[in-house]
Amino acid sequence: MDQLPARPPRLALPDAEPVVALRGLTKRFGKVLANDQITLEIRPGRIKALLGENGAGKSTLMGMLAGRLVPDAGRMEVHGREVRFASAREAIAAGIGMVYQHFMLVEAMTVAENVLLGQEPGFFLSPRDMERRVAELAAQYRLDIDPRARVGDLSMGEKQLVEILKLLARDSRVLIFDEPTAVLTPAETFRLFEALWSMTAQGKAVVFISHKLEEVLAIADEIAVLRSGKVEAELRPEEIGSKADLARIMIGKDVLLEVDRTAAEVREQVLDIRNLNGLGLTDINLDLQRGEVLAVVGVAGNGQKALVEAVCGLTQPPKDTIFILGKPWREYYADPDWKHTLSYIPEDRLGLATMRNKNLVDNMLLTTRKGFRSGPLLQKARAVADTRELVRKYDIKPGRVRVLAWQLSGGNLQKAVLARELYREPRLIVAEQPTQGLDVAATEEVWRRLLDARDMAGILLVTGDLNEALQLADRVAVMYRGRVVAQFPVTDRDQVDKIGLYMAGVTDF
Amino acid sequence: MDWGILVALLAAAVQSGTPVLFATLGEMLSEKGGVLNLGVEGMMSVAALAAFLTAYFTGSPWLGFLAGGLAGACLASLHGVICVGFLGNQVVSGLALTILGLGLTHFFGTPYIGLAAPGFSKFAVPGLADLPVLGGILFRQDALVYVSYVLPVAFWFFLQRTRPGLAVRAVGEMPAAVAAAGLHPLRLRLFAAVAGGFLVGLGGAYLSLAYTHLWTNGLSAGRGWIAVALVIFAFWRPGRAVAGAYLFGGVMAFQLRLQATGTNLPSSLLLMLPYALTVLVLALSAWRGRGADAPAALGVNIEPEG
Repeated sequence: MDQLPARPPRLALPDAEPVVALRGLTKRFGKVLANDQITLEIRPGRIKALLGENGAGKSTLMGMLAGRLVPDAGRMEVHGREVRFASAREAIAAGIGMVYQHFMLVEAMTVAENVLLGQEPGFFLSPRDMERRVAELAAQYRLDIDPRARVGDLSMGEKQLVEILKLLARDSRVLIFDEPTAVLTPAETFRLFEALWSMTAQGKAVVFISHKLEEVLAIADEIAVLRSGKVEAELRPEEIGSKADLARIMIGKDVLLEVDRTAAEVREQVLDIRNLNGLGLTDINLDLQRGEVLAVVGVAGNGQKALVEAVCGLTQPPKDTIFILGKPWREYYADPDWKHTLSYIPEDRLGLATMRNKNLVDNMLLTTRKGFRSGPLLQKARAVADTRELVRKYDIKPGRVRVLAWQLSGGNLQKAVLARELYREPRLIVAEQPTQGLDVAATEEVWRRLLDARDMAGILLVTGDLNEALQLADRVAVMYRGRVVAQFPVTDRDQVDKIGLYMAGVTDF
Repeated sequence: MDWGILVALLAAAVQSGTPVLFATLGEMLSEKGGVLNLGVEGMMSVAALAAFLTAYFTGSPWLGFLAGGLAGACLASLHGVICVGFLGNQVVSGLALTILGLGLTHFFGTPYIGLAAPGFSKFAVPGLADLPVLGGILFRQDALVYVSYVLPVAFWFFLQRTRPGLAVRAVGEMPAAVAAAGLHPLRLRLFAAVAGGFLVGLGGAYLSLAYTHLWTNGLSAGRGWIAVALVIFAFWRPGRAVAGAYLFGGVMAFQLRLQATGTNLPSSLLLMLPYALTVLVLALSAWRGRGADAPAALGVNIEPEG
C-alpha cells in the first residue's frame, strides 16, 4: 500500500474545542472489562484513528458513542455538555453518526431516497427535488455519485459513499467509520481517503477505526491505540518511527510482520493453465508446482474472481485450458477425491466457505464427508472427534464444536476453514484473500499455516494485499483487465518495484 | 357478436374485478411493508358480513362500507400483533386468520341468509356515461366502482410521493436501514398491515353491498386467494394490479355469460376458469423470474437487537 495518495497539508486548528470528549468511560460485559476508564477527545477538522486488535474494545467504545450501548461509568460530553444516549437515534440527533461495516441501505431504492429517508423536507416528496439536494451535498464534499442510481446496482465503495451522505444529510459533526476499507478495492480506498480529507477540511471530525497500520499512518492526524480495553497510547503519526513500532504498541509484543520464510522443496506440477481465453480472461498462462506459492495480485475486478472460479470448478473453462494435478479440468472434476486434491479457501467465509447456521462438525463435513462414509451412513462420532481435535490444534475459539459458524469471529472462522481444508492434505490450495479483515495475530497465524502447507501443496494465493503477496509468494503474477500483464519471482526487486505500474496496466517503460 | 354484448361483458368484468382490486391493493400495501398476510380470504369474508349487518341495521350502505373496512383492519391488526409484536410466523398466522374468518362468517352469518340489505346501485355519471363504448363499460356502475378508479392512483402516489409511503417501502426492504434513519420499523409495519387490511375489508364489503344485495354464505369464493396471487402477478405495482383484477373479472363474467347462454360444457369446468387462469398467470410470472421484485424483507420478522 505504498501508493496511497498524498495527504493534503494538515490544517492548523490547535485551539479547536473538542466536539466530543469521553471521560473515564467504562463498560463491562459480565466479567469482561471491555472498556476501562477511556478518556479521549475528538476535535473538529481532524481524523482520529482508533487502532487496536480485534477484541481490543474499539467496537464497544464506538457503540457507546453511537448510542447503542450505555456506559457503566464515566461521562460523555458533546460541546462541553454532558450527554446520555438511550438510542442510536439520540446520538444521531446530537450530531454523532456511524458508518457500519454492514451497510444499512435499501437496495431497491435510489441513492437520493436512501440518503433522505427520515429526513424528507415535507409530507409530499418530489424525486427531482430530492435528487437535486443529494447532488448538491455530494458536490459539496466532492463525492462522486449519481443520486438517481439504484443502490443495488452500486459497488461496495459507492454504497459506502451513500452511507456517508446519509450522515452528512443529518448534519453529523462526528463521523465514525468502522473498518471502512475492509470492503473496498484499493482504488476505492483512495477515493474514500480523499472524501475524508474533504470532510475534515470543512470542519467535520472523523473517527477511523482500523487495524491496518499502513492506512492509519497514511490518514490519521491523531492515533489512539487501544489494547485490552485501555487507551495504550495517544500519538501523532510523525512521532512514529516505523510500522513495526506502531504494531508493537498495538500488540504489546513484537510481531513478525515479516514472516520468516525459507524456501520449500519444489516438486511436481499441480496446476497448469494454458492459453485460457474466455470467462472475461485473455491468454492466461500460469503453472504451479508443489512447494511453491504463486501470488496473483491486482486491483479487484480485473479477472481474479473468474480465474479462481474456473480453477475451483465453479465455472467451466474452455476445453484443454486448465489442468489440475495433471488431469484435464473435466476429468478432474468428474469425480474429485476428497483427499490429496484441491482445497479452496474462499474470500466469502460465511457464504461460500461455511454454512452460517450449522455447527463446526457439519461445516467440517462440508468438504470432507467422503472421508467419513461407511456405505450410505455417515460416521458422525468420528467426525465429532476429529473436529474436536482440529479445534484444539488450531485453537479455534470459543473451543466448542457445537458453536455455529456465524457465532465465530472472523479470525476464528478463517482458522476453522483453514483447519478443514488442510485436514484434506491437499496438493493444490487456492487461497482467496485469506487474511482480509483479520487482525495482526490472526493474519500471522494464517500466513504461517499456509507457508507450512507448502510441504504438501502448491498454493495459488489471490490477494489484494501486496504486502501479503510479497511475504508469502515465490512468484507474483499481476492481473489487469483479464490478462496476466507480468509474472516474476519476488527476488526480482526491479520488477517488484513496478507492481504498482503493472496493476494500473502500464507495461511499456 | 355485436357491440352491445361486448360492452355488457366488459362492464360486468369491471364489476367483478372491483372487489378483487380492493383486496389486491390491500395485500400489496401490507406486503410492501414486509408483512405477508395470507388471511385475505378470511378478512374479506368477515368484512362482507360486517358490511352487510351494518347496512341491514342502520340502513346506510356507506356506513356498511366503512364497517367492512374496519372489520378488515381489525383482523389485520390481530395478524400484525402476532407477527410484528410477537414475531409469529407470518404464513401460519395468515392461514389461521383465513380459517378463523371463514368460520366466524359462517357462524354469525347463517341466520341472515337470504335477507337483503340496502346496497349500492348502478347510476350513470352525467356526461361521461354517454361516451361511446367506454361510457357503457366504465361509467354506468355503482359508486364503489368509481371509488376504485381513484384508488390505484392514490395508492401509487402514497407509496412513491409521500414521506410515510417511502418509509413503508423501506421497512419492507430493509428494516435496519429504517431504524438507522431514526424511524420506527415496528410501527410502520403495523401501519402497513392494518391499512392494507382496511383496503381488503373494503373489497369484502363490495361483495355484500354491491355485487349482491342479499346475504349468502361463501361470498368471498376464493377471491382473497386470487388477490394474494395477483400481487405477485402485478410485481407489486398498482397499475398491473388493475390489469390483473379486470382480467380475472373478465374471465369470471365471461364464464357466467357462457353458462347463461347454455353450452354443453359442464358448468363446474367453467367455474374453474378464473382459478385456472390465476395458476397460469402465476406460472408465467415465475417463469419470467419476476419474483425478484418482491420486497426484500417480505415475510421476514424484525428481530429485536440483541
